[in-house]
Amino acid sequence: MYGLEAINANNGWATSVVGITIVFSGLVVLSLVISQLYKALDLYENPQKIRDWFSRAKRSDKFLETEVPLFVLTEEQKEIIKQFALLVRTLEDHFSLPRLFELAQISGVKNFHSNLNILLKSAIIFPDKEGFFCWDQDMYIKTISNRNSLKKMEDNRK
Amino acid sequence: MSSISDVLEKSIIFNSLEDTDLQRIAPMFEKWELHTGDILTTAGNTAQYFFILGKGTLLLAMKDGRSVVLDAPGDFVAMELLSDRGMYKTTITALEDGMAFVIPRKVFLDFIQEDTPGAAAIMQAWQGFLDQVAAFAKQIEVINVPTIF
Repeated sequence: MYGLEAINANNGWATSVVGITIVFSGLVVLSLVISQLYKALDLYENPQKIRDWFSRAKRSDKFLETEVPLFVLTEEQKEIIKQFALLVRTLEDHFSLPRLFELAQISGVKNFHSNLNILLKSAIIFPDKEGFFCWDQDMYIKTISNRNSLKKMEDNRK
Repeated sequence: MSSISDVLEKSIIFNSLEDTDLQRIAPMFEKWELHTGDILTTAGNTAQYFFILGKGTLLLAMKDGRSVVLDAPGDFVAMELLSDRGMYKTTITALEDGMAFVIPRKVFLDFIQEDTPGAAAIMQAWQGFLDQVAAFAKQIEVINVPTIF
């Protein structure tokens, strides 16, 4: 028995299809590995990038932790933050922090350096990563609400 | 964290330096106490110092209305963030009491222009730091030309 007859009789077609599939899959995997190899080599040559990933993660964790205000605001601070809220209304959604700073100074907002710092620490004002800042209205309401502050005060006493 | 060694160890810019490089660069820094409202630099003035934050919060106000707030010990305020052709382009204001270490601009630029692994490590870490805190401030076309700052 020779030729096509022999191939048919011994599952030759199926064997060749399986063989082609294995070789083709191998080549696809190999090409994918080679196409991404430059990334692995870059990390090998610049291990600082790996460290940066971890420090970035730590920074993000820290940001998330500071999202919830950890301090109790005095009535005076609440009033000053309300003044900031009014000033922010005159600005665009993504506003310039130095502009807000300037407005607070011109408007005679008391202790505007430290109160701006409170707004940043409590994440009521947060960066948009493009050099401008946004106002988180929900966080603002949460922070200045009396009940919330009283609860925090009680928690602190405990 | 009151010593420059602790701050350098904490800083992602400097913590990859070898001990010998750290011992060389640490004495170049001088400690400054920061008080709320202090203005450390004014945009338009001659750039004299670069800063590494030890404690506190700094507002970096740039000329175009953009700004960055730095509050992590080890954060470094220099080059793209602070100066351009020997002039400050950023006004730095302390938003709370704290402490920073300063290094003369020329001394730092001389250090990073040396053909050493330490200088290369600082420049590489600096690019990573900028990506994290102020990617918008990156000046791609002038990377590796430290004298521009």
